[in-house]
Amino acid sequence: MMNARWSVYLVRSATTAAPFALAIAIGAVVLAATGHEPLAVYQLMVEEAFGGERRIAATLTAATPLLLTGLAAAVAFRAGIFNVGAEGCFYLGGMAAAVVGYASPNWPSTLLIPLALAASGLVGGAWLLGPGVLRARLGVDEVVTTLMLNFIAVDLTSWLVNGPLLARGSANSATPQIVSNAELPRLLPPSTLHLGFVLSLSLVVAYGFWGRFSVEGFRSRLVGLSARFSRAVGIDPLRIFVGVMVASGVIGGLAGGIHVLGLVHRFVAGFSPGYGFTGVAIALLARNSAFGVALAAILFGALSSAGANIQLFSNVPLEIVEILQGAVMIFAVAQFGFGWAGHRLGP
Amino acid sequence: MTEMARVEVRLGARRVTRAFGSVLANDRVDLSVAPTTIHAVVGGNGAGKSTLMRILQGVDRPDEGSVILNDRPVRLTGPADAYARGIGMVHQEFMLAPPLTLLENLVLAREPVGFGGLIDWRAAQAEADRLAKIAGVTIDWRLRVVDAPVHVRQALEILRLLYRGADVLILDEPTAVLAPAQIEDLLALMRKLKAEGRTILFISHKLEEVMSVADKITIMRAGRVVETTTPARTSLPELARAMVGESIEAATVEARALPSEKLLFRARGLVARDAMGVQRLGPVDLDIFAGEIVGVAGVSGNGQDELVGSAAGLTHPAEGTIDFAGGDMTRASTSHFRAAGVGYLSADRGEEGLCLTASIRDNFIAGRERDHAFSRFGVLQLRAIAVEAERALTRLSVRYGRLSDPASSLSGGNQQRLAIAREVDREPKLLVAAQPTRGVDIAGTAFIHSLIAAFRDRGGAVLLISESLDEILALSDRIIGLYNGRIVGELNRREASVDRVGRMMLGQKAA
Amino acid sequence: MIDLFLHAAILTTTPILLAAIGGLVNRIGGLVNLGLESMMLAGALVAVEVSSAASSAALAIVAAGAIGAVVGLTMSLVITRLRANEIIVGLGFTVAVAGLVRYLLKSLYGVSGTYNPPGVVMLPRLDIPFLDGVPIVGAILSRQDALTWFAWAMVPAVAFALTRTRWGLRLRATGSAEATVRAVGLAPLRIRDISTLFAGAMAGLAGAYLSIGIVGLFNEGITGGRGFIALAAFYFGRMSPARTALGALLFGFFDAAQIRLQGRGVPAELVQTLPYVIVIVVLTGLGVADWRAARERTL
Repeated sequence: MMNARWSVYLVRSATTAAPFALAIAIGAVVLAATGHEPLAVYQLMVEEAFGGERRIAATLTAATPLLLTGLAAAVAFRAGIFNVGAEGCFYLGGMAAAVVGYASPNWPSTLLIPLALAASGLVGGAWLLGPGVLRARLGVDEVVTTLMLNFIAVDLTSWLVNGPLLARGSANSATPQIVSNAELPRLLPPSTLHLGFVLSLSLVVAYGFWGRFSVEGFRSRLVGLSARFSRAVGIDPLRIFVGVMVASGVIGGLAGGIHVLGLVHRFVAGFSPGYGFTGVAIALLARNSAFGVALAAILFGALSSAGANIQLFSNVPLEIVEILQGAVMIFAVAQFGFGWAGHRLGP
Repeated sequence: MTEMARVEVRLGARRVTRAFGSVLANDRVDLSVAPTTIHAVVGGNGAGKSTLMRILQGVDRPDEGSVILNDRPVRLTGPADAYARGIGMVHQEFMLAPPLTLLENLVLAREPVGFGGLIDWRAAQAEADRLAKIAGVTIDWRLRVVDAPVHVRQALEILRLLYRGADVLILDEPTAVLAPAQIEDLLALMRKLKAEGRTILFISHKLEEVMSVADKITIMRAGRVVETTTPARTSLPELARAMVGESIEAATVEARALPSEKLLFRARGLVARDAMGVQRLGPVDLDIFAGEIVGVAGVSGNGQDELVGSAAGLTHPAEGTIDFAGGDMTRASTSHFRAAGVGYLSADRGEEGLCLTASIRDNFIAGRERDHAFSRFGVLQLRAIAVEAERALTRLSVRYGRLSDPASSLSGGNQQRLAIAREVDREPKLLVAAQPTRGVDIAGTAFIHSLIAAFRDRGGAVLLISESLDEILALSDRIIGLYNGRIVGELNRREASVDRVGRMMLGQKAA
Repeated sequence: MIDLFLHAAILTTTPILLAAIGGLVNRIGGLVNLGLESMMLAGALVAVEVSSAASSAALAIVAAGAIGAVVGLTMSLVITRLRANEIIVGLGFTVAVAGLVRYLLKSLYGVSGTYNPPGVVMLPRLDIPFLDGVPIVGAILSRQDALTWFAWAMVPAVAFALTRTRWGLRLRATGSAEATVRAVGLAPLRIRDISTLFAGAMAGLAGAYLSIGIVGLFNEGITGGRGFIALAAFYFGRMSPARTALGALLFGFFDAAQIRLQGRGVPAELVQTLPYVIVIVVLTGLGVADWRAARERTL
């Protein structure tokens, strides 16, 4: 019994890590072609990501938004809904939390933080209600609608932050700072690791339990496996579609809210370097499992954190990280005998 | 064409044998299709017709025996090879590109080329008209396939075979998709093509059409050729009997002693359409009482799927009313039906009756996860579920490894038992059972029959839809015949016989 | 005043139109290309480099088309041969190529963000002297460059090719019925790959237009999401080159308009959302139409 459980984790880790390995190979080619030593660079990256408490904290901080964007994608994918709209929810949720954070009177943290987070979740969930209903009622492909909503959300928040919500006297496009009571406390000062990491990880763990032990988790998994079978046994796939989409939006919004309250402390235009899309890659790597999401988020966080630092210590441009990220996304879905074909866009 | 006529067997099979695992799909099959004739192959589900066609087309290869072409044995390397030798096939699922026009589909990959390498549409149209004339059909070539009615698409498929130079046309259940009015047109087309010098091999289980148009008939059952005959030397009832076989000695189930008084299911004026919007069922009136098994006898394609869909609550009827257990269920959802006490055994075990990638436990519990016994406050009670699953599966002698194994790990018979376990364990009032023993061996079939009978004895009602006449006769208390979507007769167990039921299946009054 | 606006609108339309036509052909062949942005970016960079190094705009255009085609083909092979999900691969390429381009800027040229080599030859404008004075028409037609003419010429050319050539017919069949195409003896995956190659080349040209057609240098943000606006355009255009061109023109107009309207109380960012909003509206409309048709059938 024990063996079976551990072997599942082993296989999971392997399928999650394999595309990473391939991406690293590609990255090595790029590094070598531009006159760098791949092994030395990678060694440096591993050191930067995991060498010592401070660095691990930085890795975990970088992983924090990814935990929830990955979770947002996983929740939807599991039910067969190909939602790529987490990026938009991240922006809107972040803005909502920032607004609550700077516009509220100086209420205590225990009130302010839940309020701000609730706002971010609500906004995110409401944002994806439309595509969910469109898919359930009219069969409109959710990939395109959620993809479009990403861009709309970015532009919308960009307008708000450059206009009505712009901080007085601010040069760049940012809202005012949130009040200190709205900030998520640091876990390990002076590192920037904040409570948001614990919150996010808890949500991922909760998802794991939800998937395994709850009635709705069971139903949404079944719908993802076979909508036709689900219908025949009395489960309504359409209701699940909408529910999962909204849940996905709530989580995406929370991701943005936590990022604002815990790290950035205000909303800035362009404050997400594609967290939402990375989340999609994470969910795919993880095959929608909670353990996989956590593992993949940390790996991507390591990549991002190390990348930011290696530029300081070597002349390797930090964009190598982006190359690796893109390559991981591609290899995550390529089928060399493993992989997930998943959704195909119709004409 | 005249050279072909001197050949005795244009296309055939000699002692073709093909096995899939332990299942013998074709068992020493002999088939001889003479040139410029129409040759029909008939048989029920699982008779081996599709396997034989795939072998003749080169898609599959026999384990033993050989395909015969122009009196000589050949080895076909694939459908392209068969095409090159003049053999073409029209499948049940058409191979067409929906947004393209009929003309574009006709010439695809063999486009006539004109000036500057561009497609010469005039030449294409001329050729299309010529072929349409040969076949005696009128087609609006500018219509897109997606807008064209089914029978036009089928005509196109046939014409495309001619366009590509096939002189042997294999048609797989060509009338299955047609409305009765269009079937005559298709038969006329077949006769015309034969007169023009083509050879036609077609699969069907619509015996009337076979008798009407075929020159020779080969009857298959359980992978073997039972008989080869001609319409002149046989009759409809004989064909039917040859197709379904004599009643086997398998244990027949005791008929219900007394008719029950309690009316469970009542359909009035029920009309149902298929996925394409074509009306396939109705108007139909049907009553089902508690404690009886009502068997629906009929060749598939006569409205059974739509009847099943309406009775199990999968689709809304287009017209009419359905009452169940005293409540109006006409617009009710599937879960409402199930909550009211309807159980459903799907004919499509792999895609609808079970979720093969999910675990055995999940398949058992699917749809019942909210039940009080299995969950509390939205949390699954895994222990209770496992206990109940084990109990139910043991009761039905399902052979499995672990509850967490995927359902695909079970054999066909055990998979069916798993589906039955789920449905019957819910203790429904009415069980809609479609092809309950399809793909199950004799022992398994007998067991499933006893399960259904026991369910009936406990007071449940069963609506049994089966293509197997044996099964209908063995189990039903009442037998109704379904033909072209209408109920053509009703017999009770005592009155029923293969002859009379067979006649009902063919739309004739049970004399 | 209106003349300047019209002229500008045509200018902003060109890159979108080029990429959208490419994306349309790709989609007709059955592949929704979410990596147009990456092919544009590559084309823009290569165009600047080749134009400066070889002192030739013509060579630069060819090179841009070629690099776009290469990126496109690579992406296509991953999707068709490795059966990878086209959405993720498209997005992945967008991220990876953007990173690669910025990486190369730093590694090879030692610059960050903007690459401005000396001696970049811009795309020449084509004057039509007798139209110069004509209002409106003159503004639209005169002093545009070769790529703009090429882009608009491609609209009827593609429409013609789709219906009158063998390749066009087979492409349309591949996109709608892959199994059928295989059954009649063709190679659908190869046809699809070629369509992606075309889309990549067009997107590469679009990138070249952005760099050596307008600004004369390369900047990492030069594509500005136009790859996705092109996507919006060919979704708007469904399967028709003319409608796609209309969509591209519409979005080009929005782009030109929002620049002019800045400072007049109309928020630029909201105008920028219009292409995406329109796609959603179009898809919803189609969904409603399908739903109505289905209801009709069962009544």
